[in-house]
Amino acid sequence: MNCEVKVKDRIGTINPIFTCQPAGAQYASIGVKDCIGLVHGGQGCVMFVRLLISQHLKESFEIASSSLHEDGAVFGACGRVEEGVDVLLARYPHLKVIPIITTCSTEVIGDDVDGVITKLEEGLLAEKYPDREVHLLPIHTPSFVGSMVSGYDVAVRDFVKKFARKGPSNGKINFITGWVNPGDVTELKSLLKEMDIDATVLFEIESFDSPIMPDGGEVSHGNTTIEDLVSTGSATHTFALNRYEGGKAAQFLEKKFKIPSVIGPTPIGIRNTDAMLKKLSEATGKPIPESLVRKRGVALDAITDLAHMFLADKKVAIYGNPDLVIGLAEFCLDLEMKPQLLLLGDDNSSYADDPRIKALQEHVDYPMEIVTNADFWDLEDRIKNKGLELDLILGHSKGRFISIDYDIPMVRVGFPTYDRAGLYRYPVVGYGGATWLVEQMANALFTDMEHKKHKEWLLNVW
Amino acid sequence: MPYHEFDCSKVIPERKQHAVVKGEGEDLTSCLPKGYLNTIPGSISERGCAYCGAKHVIGTPMKDVIHISHGPVGCTYDTWQTKRYISDNNNFQLKYTFATDVKEKHIVFGAESLLKQNIHEAFDAFPEIKRMTIYQTCATALIGDDINAIADEVMAERPDVDIFVCNSPGFAGPSQSGGHHKINIAWLNQKVGTVEPEITSDYVINYVGEYNIQGDQEVMQDYFKRMGIQVLSTFTGNGSYDDLRAMHRAHLNVLECARSAEYICDELRARYGIPRLDIDGFGFKALGDSLRKIGLFFGIEDRAEAIIAAETARWKPELDWYAARLKGKRVCLWPGGSKLWHWANAIQEEMGVKVVSVYTKFGHQGDMEKGIARAGVGTLAIDDPNELEGQEALLRLKPDVIFTGKRPGEVAKKMRVPYLNAHAYHNGPYKGFEGWVRFARDIYNAVYSPMHQLSGVDISKDDYATDKGFVTRRMLSDASLPEADRASPLTGYTGKFDPIEALRAKTDADYPQFARKSSPQAAE
Repeated sequence: MNCEVKVKDRIGTINPIFTCQPAGAQYASIGVKDCIGLVHGGQGCVMFVRLLISQHLKESFEIASSSLHEDGAVFGACGRVEEGVDVLLARYPHLKVIPIITTCSTEVIGDDVDGVITKLEEGLLAEKYPDREVHLLPIHTPSFVGSMVSGYDVAVRDFVKKFARKGPSNGKINFITGWVNPGDVTELKSLLKEMDIDATVLFEIESFDSPIMPDGGEVSHGNTTIEDLVSTGSATHTFALNRYEGGKAAQFLEKKFKIPSVIGPTPIGIRNTDAMLKKLSEATGKPIPESLVRKRGVALDAITDLAHMFLADKKVAIYGNPDLVIGLAEFCLDLEMKPQLLLLGDDNSSYADDPRIKALQEHVDYPMEIVTNADFWDLEDRIKNKGLELDLILGHSKGRFISIDYDIPMVRVGFPTYDRAGLYRYPVVGYGGATWLVEQMANALFTDMEHKKHKEWLLNVW
Repeated sequence: MPYHEFDCSKVIPERKQHAVVKGEGEDLTSCLPKGYLNTIPGSISERGCAYCGAKHVIGTPMKDVIHISHGPVGCTYDTWQTKRYISDNNNFQLKYTFATDVKEKHIVFGAESLLKQNIHEAFDAFPEIKRMTIYQTCATALIGDDINAIADEVMAERPDVDIFVCNSPGFAGPSQSGGHHKINIAWLNQKVGTVEPEITSDYVINYVGEYNIQGDQEVMQDYFKRMGIQVLSTFTGNGSYDDLRAMHRAHLNVLECARSAEYICDELRARYGIPRLDIDGFGFKALGDSLRKIGLFFGIEDRAEAIIAAETARWKPELDWYAARLKGKRVCLWPGGSKLWHWANAIQEEMGVKVVSVYTKFGHQGDMEKGIARAGVGTLAIDDPNELEGQEALLRLKPDVIFTGKRPGEVAKKMRVPYLNAHAYHNGPYKGFEGWVRFARDIYNAVYSPMHQLSGVDISKDDYATDKGFVTRRMLSDASLPEADRASPLTGYTGKFDPIEALRAKTDADYPQFARKSSPQAAE
């Protein structure tokens, strides 16, 4: 077999690809309107995650901390959740949803967050805020389990679990985008619109690409409402585009409300976008319109100029969120490229069973490695010490120094991409995303040819 | 009544004593806000944790070290590539970070063997690095791993390595400040006195509380070397682990950020009799006075004066060009800890701006005392500010520019207040004479951005002249300037994009050679 799936052969982490679970839950929480997450743990678990997300989106948003200090770590800190909820409600009149997001410290000391919520509902909410719509929910995201990816998945499930109600069918589909950018949401919504499909787009962060308004009053916020979440129980289908970022919620809705779920494929590239549209068409009975045939054709037109001339046989390493990495690898193969190394940065043991990974193992006809629980040293060590030759790296900004130090061109993709301007604005999904990705890759290779004076004259007549 | 009550914080009365407006004739006893108290949960404070205070602020700027955090991976990831503490060894400490990657089974059964294996793996991956610091995190503090014991075991097995352990979990104190204290004392207790340095000058200092943000340390070190002073160590920016083990041999501790590093200076004084001299690398006057004080201490004032004269002649006209154009601009000075007092007076005196508010995320009352003393009447001073208070203050004060962190900077952006990064700088370094001009340049560029002017226009409603194809900064800044200033042939900053490159290219031959007064033996 040419393609091996292996676990990183070291126990520790040198330059992590992912952060921990609470960060994923926080990213999901900013997609909900009138919601401020309360992260139960040390202040750094919030302060740095807010910094990270704001580095990426160049926006601010609100997430609170229970500010665990020494006394709480010793004697238990449930009281700080109670106080935190009260302070948030008292100061943010529009606030309706407060997820209590746990961390390693408060899971280790064993704070009973579920119990605190019951106590708050019966006490504080009933007594101090009787006329106000307030929803509290626990999200258990100990940092020593999974990664930010599973944290997002767990949070999406827990939000849906909290709110979903079975009603008469609303004729809509649930559409869980997974961990994407505002530009992806715009592209996906445009595809849905072309298909004339009424969808509840969940954890919808499109408006995080927001303006400076003349009055200085703009505040970025998520667009998924409580009503949206409630209605997930009455949908006709659930589409979770990413298996590992929303799949749990789709499974929950299927089990609890018998709503059929369609999990994946991540619509990266032409073929996966086709698959998503076909599945949408099958589920809703809506035909794929001529306009999308044209849109697809525009993408193929752009790709045809580039693929067999410039991209074919280029060796690429890809790291980041698993659905993104797999989707990009599949697209690269369609583009005649040769993904050499896929790094999946957490210890989820089910990656090896992913049908997409199995298909890679079955069909890839050159040596490819897939490393799980991987870190950046798995990439750098192979380049520095083991002779891995690459033409291109695809991944997020935290790997930037590998590209810089080994002079390998890199296209920033995923989360976070703070060292390039405006990337959150562009899609990687759908036909639009396929075009954007291919052109980014080509331009990165072109710049590298010029920078290294490596057949740079080739472009004279292109 | 000196306390300032924010409308948004009326519902949390304990906040009332954390903000004051400095009144006419008021002294500090009547208007000092409370400070360094536990944070109010849910207030959306700007504070970080004691782990980051130890690891991210003080530990990691040390350059020739494997920095490993013992805990789940998030603490490491989150404090990686979010600051600008560069180093002259190709930024090893910026590029590489290490986590033991504690998982659930380790929480249950202990993570000491995991830690030990991690240490070996890290040293094996980077055989040229022989020094390590290990940072405890919340999770490993709570399960009670004995990190020191593991470090001792490894040092016994690998005699060529040395390991420092910092036990400062995230919950240890109200803010990152708790971590500053812990790592100061831990370094002193574990490492100072374990290396004997080579003394090459009659004048030997430790440069303390300096983190080489965008090259600050290298600028200051250049002045010290031009004075013939040996910088034995820098705690910790661009600092070398083994140099810092020899801190006990300095003749003087020159302290920059007293908030984060006064602890080690005070203990070095108590244990080794090394005096502490507080200095300030920001601002022509403060920096000049600082170099003079150091010169005075060693009896080499003339060397300081020569540098001050040369640097002032080179850079003062450019600073003055900006000062004429920044006069009266309203500034919110909202940094983390020490910059509120490092900058409050200097920017007013030398750049002509007006500080309308100071805040500190993790400072203590002493920092507020210094900051308020150096700010003018009417200044709003806020301890441990939170999101809503910041927004309310910006609406009330309508500043022309704000100096704060990256994320609060995004809040300011939406409110149409130009922002400069107070922690990591925009285009630093800001220390040194040239650096201070760079700071003035950045302020000017922020305040007079033509785009900022455009962002205030509502094209659906406002009348505004569309007769211009462009507007320059100069057209905006010089419009109301006195004729004499407008006509002056002076210009703004003329230095390079990266002033540190030239400093790194200097060799010993580029520095003056001063004869030693005494033999090296006698100096000991």
